[in-house]
Amino acid sequence: MADYLWLIPCLPLLASIVIAFAGPRWLRGQSHWPCLLAVAAACFLSMLVAGEIISQEQGDATLKTYYSWVQSGKLDVGMTLRADALSAIMLVTVTFVGTLIAIYSAGYMHGDPGYPRFFACVALFIFCMTGLVMADNFVLLYAGWEGVGVCSYLLIGFWFQRPSAAAAARKAFLVNRIGDFGFMLGILLLWSQFGFRLDYQSVFDRADTLAGTSTLTAICLLLFCGAVGKSAQFPLHVWLADAMEGPSPVSALIHAATMVTAGVYMVARCMPLYQLAPDALLAVAGIGAFTAMLAALIALTQTDLKRVLAYSTMSQLGYMFLALGSAAHPTITYAAVLAAIFHLFTHAFFKALLFLAAGSVMHAMGDVIDMRRFSGLRRLLPTTHWTFLMGALALSGFPLWSGFWSKDEILGVALEASKKGVFPTYYMIFFMAGVITAALTAFYTFRAYFLTFWGEERIPPEAGEHAHESPPIMTVPLVILAVLAAGIGLVAQPLTGWFGDLLAKTPGLHEHPHHANIIVMLGSSLFAIAGIALAYWMYVKEPKTADELADSVPGLYDASRNKFYLDEAYYNGIVRPAHATSVVCRIFDLYILDGLIDLLAHGARWLGQLFRPIQNGLVQFYALAMVLGLGVFLISLVWALGG
Amino acid sequence: MPNPIIDALKNIYPLAVPEIALIALACLLYLAGTWRRDRDLWGTVALVALASVGVVLWYTVPTRPPTAAEVYAAPIILDRLALLTKVITLIGGAILVIFTWYDISDKLAAEFYGCMLLILAGIGLTAMSNDLIALFLSLELISIPTYVMLYIPRRDDLGREAATKYFLLSVFSSGILLFGFSYLYGIAGSTNLSAIMDALRSTQGVDLPVLVLVALVMVVAGLGFKITAVPFHFYAPDVYQGTTASMAALLAFLPKVAGFVALARVLGFVVPAGPAAIAFGPHLPKLLWIVAAVTMTLGNVLALLQTNLKRLLAYSSIAHAGYMLMGLTVAQSLEATNSNVPGGVEAIMFYLVAYGGMTIGAFAVFSYLSTPEREVEMEDDLAGLGVSHPGVALLMTLFLFSLIGVPLTAGFVGKMMLFFGALSGKGDSGVLFRWLAAIMAVNAAIGAWYYLRIIAKMYLHRPVKPLPKTKALPKLMTLWSCALVTLVFGIYPKPLVDLAARTTPRLASNQSVAKASPHTAINP
Repeated sequence: MADYLWLIPCLPLLASIVIAFAGPRWLRGQSHWPCLLAVAAACFLSMLVAGEIISQEQGDATLKTYYSWVQSGKLDVGMTLRADALSAIMLVTVTFVGTLIAIYSAGYMHGDPGYPRFFACVALFIFCMTGLVMADNFVLLYAGWEGVGVCSYLLIGFWFQRPSAAAAARKAFLVNRIGDFGFMLGILLLWSQFGFRLDYQSVFDRADTLAGTSTLTAICLLLFCGAVGKSAQFPLHVWLADAMEGPSPVSALIHAATMVTAGVYMVARCMPLYQLAPDALLAVAGIGAFTAMLAALIALTQTDLKRVLAYSTMSQLGYMFLALGSAAHPTITYAAVLAAIFHLFTHAFFKALLFLAAGSVMHAMGDVIDMRRFSGLRRLLPTTHWTFLMGALALSGFPLWSGFWSKDEILGVALEASKKGVFPTYYMIFFMAGVITAALTAFYTFRAYFLTFWGEERIPPEAGEHAHESPPIMTVPLVILAVLAAGIGLVAQPLTGWFGDLLAKTPGLHEHPHHANIIVMLGSSLFAIAGIALAYWMYVKEPKTADELADSVPGLYDASRNKFYLDEAYYNGIVRPAHATSVVCRIFDLYILDGLIDLLAHGARWLGQLFRPIQNGLVQFYALAMVLGLGVFLISLVWALGG
Repeated sequence: MPNPIIDALKNIYPLAVPEIALIALACLLYLAGTWRRDRDLWGTVALVALASVGVVLWYTVPTRPPTAAEVYAAPIILDRLALLTKVITLIGGAILVIFTWYDISDKLAAEFYGCMLLILAGIGLTAMSNDLIALFLSLELISIPTYVMLYIPRRDDLGREAATKYFLLSVFSSGILLFGFSYLYGIAGSTNLSAIMDALRSTQGVDLPVLVLVALVMVVAGLGFKITAVPFHFYAPDVYQGTTASMAALLAFLPKVAGFVALARVLGFVVPAGPAAIAFGPHLPKLLWIVAAVTMTLGNVLALLQTNLKRLLAYSSIAHAGYMLMGLTVAQSLEATNSNVPGGVEAIMFYLVAYGGMTIGAFAVFSYLSTPEREVEMEDDLAGLGVSHPGVALLMTLFLFSLIGVPLTAGFVGKMMLFFGALSGKGDSGVLFRWLAAIMAVNAAIGAWYYLRIIAKMYLHRPVKPLPKTKALPKLMTLWSCALVTLVFGIYPKPLVDLAARTTPRLASNQSVAKASPHTAINP
């Protein structure tokens, strides 16, 4: 395994370089091939890694150090790749979804002038993301973390000619910087506290020395800051909805299936630290539960199909953090990590599916994505309709679909934490929030589904005369993902249990037997079905009720539609004061600092002007000046010696 | 009974085989040039000559340290400094031969390349000199062909004026140098450098006679002309402007190499008899301090005002001479404290390579863009180059970045070595050295201004009158080789830094450095 580990990130990197250099001139319309081949190969290798880890008796991390990257003073960073069960799950998820999305993109992006650029960025993203999950120390993790951030920036702003896309890219990058700053501080604090080591094993081995101290809580909270930014949790969630300006495959790959889950992966990876800091865990669970509910409430009233999905992503990520935060007792740590990573795994499939299906709708509707402008598309886009339905059922947690299993694990863990943890009341509240959110999720998902595919058939004029189903290159990945979204949850955990077995091989994570909570399962199924039924009643049976309801509670409706005015609050509370400060600084820079610099510069020029006349071009004068110079040196030296 | 001194005198001929070969080849070129007038032929001959001399050089590397008789009697001695200098000048010379390819007519090509070979032989002999007379003759062997070469490629009024000015002032400075040498001989009673240093050191503790200081000033002044130190720099702007870009590049590079190596020898920083830097006493650093500070400052502030590119580079060459003089200034203190910082003569050797790469490169850009109808002379001629000639503009940016001292270029590494050399100067004058480092930092900032101005011109301005597209392969090759030097030693400077560090006895004995070399025996 160790021999080919480096190929997993390096193949996509190579593809990216090849496309970047050869794409615009030679490859052009064929630019997807290097990306596709490299990601598919990386996927194959990732599966080999996962297979080898499953076959191991005892789960061990395979470490491979390639060279010492930075070695300076107390800082020692090796280029070390790590393969253990957790990494392997992430790798398989990232590269598998990546492969399907690369195939889909070849159809979706066809004819775009930036075709090579798109695939170069996607390949670069896969490189950074695989690097992130294979990193064996916090610096490499951070490097990958920033790398995926840059790729996300490049791809959100892919159509940079559109001002909204450029603004969204900037917003995503800047909001992420805030989180990353905390993340960086966390890494530095951790480095200074754990004997100046940065590799996971050394840090986790020393975690006990700080158990229960406020320093450890601070480290965990700072690290979580990075996760809050990257995984779009409250209060740094504002970038994800705007990020939908990017092409739909990007939304599927980066802003649903993979990059945004980096925060979840990181917290899961650092669980040996977090489980010693119950306060930090409470914060993780609290932010997760709050975001899950907030995003679900916002999603209720959005009219943009992709934005509904974006808010649902935030909400589902909130669930994952709720699960991780519930690891408050040693006996449920394993169950918590399992629930979070399992939900991450199933979510990657069904959310990628939903985004790709939304992209397919957009493709057919001439880039219109506002659900008020089309409806009744189920006959026009049969494959898209069926696959979207599969994804919607999975997202709603409909019994037996994959989302059902993973979401129940999360709710079960939260309930468990309210019985065993340090803060029972809080976890009870989080659990209730999770249950309510489950109902909301089912409702808004099917609201979007019914608005798009049911009712009378309406097609916007942008679609042209012959709106049609997408080509097979796009529908085949949809079908594959639909099958997985429907079945992977059932197959991977309740039937075979291999997912849990694999995850349990992660070093430092000890398996504890746990049982599915039947009451929770039945309850949440009931909520999900009720949500779907309500959506059916409101948007198919009695389409007027929705508007009447909205009119009857105008305040609540507007608050949700306007995302609880958080964007406005940030604008007035943060962006504008910052802007005002920058104006003041600019004035200071322009008139005071520049004035000083100009003064110095004029001094230098003035000095030059002073000496310029002596360069008069007369050779006899030059000789004289040389002699004079010689004389001055001689006299001054002799004088110095004498005096 | 064999006489060791006679043996020592006999042994010098094998050491000088490369130079003898170069001079013989030059004579051959002069003779044969009367029968055939073909620059391609004679240029190729010159290149082949340089290559074969390079091979010969490899076989002249001595395998044993010089004997006492050789140190005190032989007029030339081949040590690491001499070897490195020869390698640098042979490679630099080859680049210059390629550079000048299209600048001379078929008629005079043989003479021109003959002169070039003579200059290179002169520099090789200068670097090996162990004796005042040998040193002076070698320096003249550089100067006299230079006068001829200035006449050959450009024979309009400006060109003639430049050649005449150079000739007159150069002869004048030779006179001053010889005058200084005569004082040294008078004091020490010998023309052998090691003997002179021993004699001077024997007066340690006693005040040096005033005559020593007179000699010192004369020597620095005489060699100051070659390295364009203020106030002996006056010729540079006029001459560079008056001659072709390729000759300006030659004048900016080769005499500087010779001048600095000669100074390192005469001032006792690298003499075969071992460290003798303290021979001239505490006044030497002070003198050099003033010259360095004035040279870099004046060069930079005057360059600020220039809009003529060749004049600008002339002043920039003066400024860079000032930076390199810093290395000489601190060399004595580094020697005295046995510091392991390569900031003295070692840093100068590195800087000369870096400087050669970036300056020849910049001149080559002007030359590449010029046509007989339209010469690139003013800054405005480069406006819009980033659009019209993106590749050349990029290379020019690289050379300018190196001249500024931006990291990942050779110029940065060189500046850093000099800077840290000045910062690590210890003793009473440590404060003075730190001030000099500060002056250098300010100067580097002023320098960045006018270099960046050219970059801004190239990328931010619209072309005033678009330059024609030219395709001169030799110039392109020059550009590429200079860019290679600038980048390679910027990104991976270690090999050259090690080579340069071993040129002085102080760092040559450094075990970790010495192990890597097959020729450790040269320095005892």
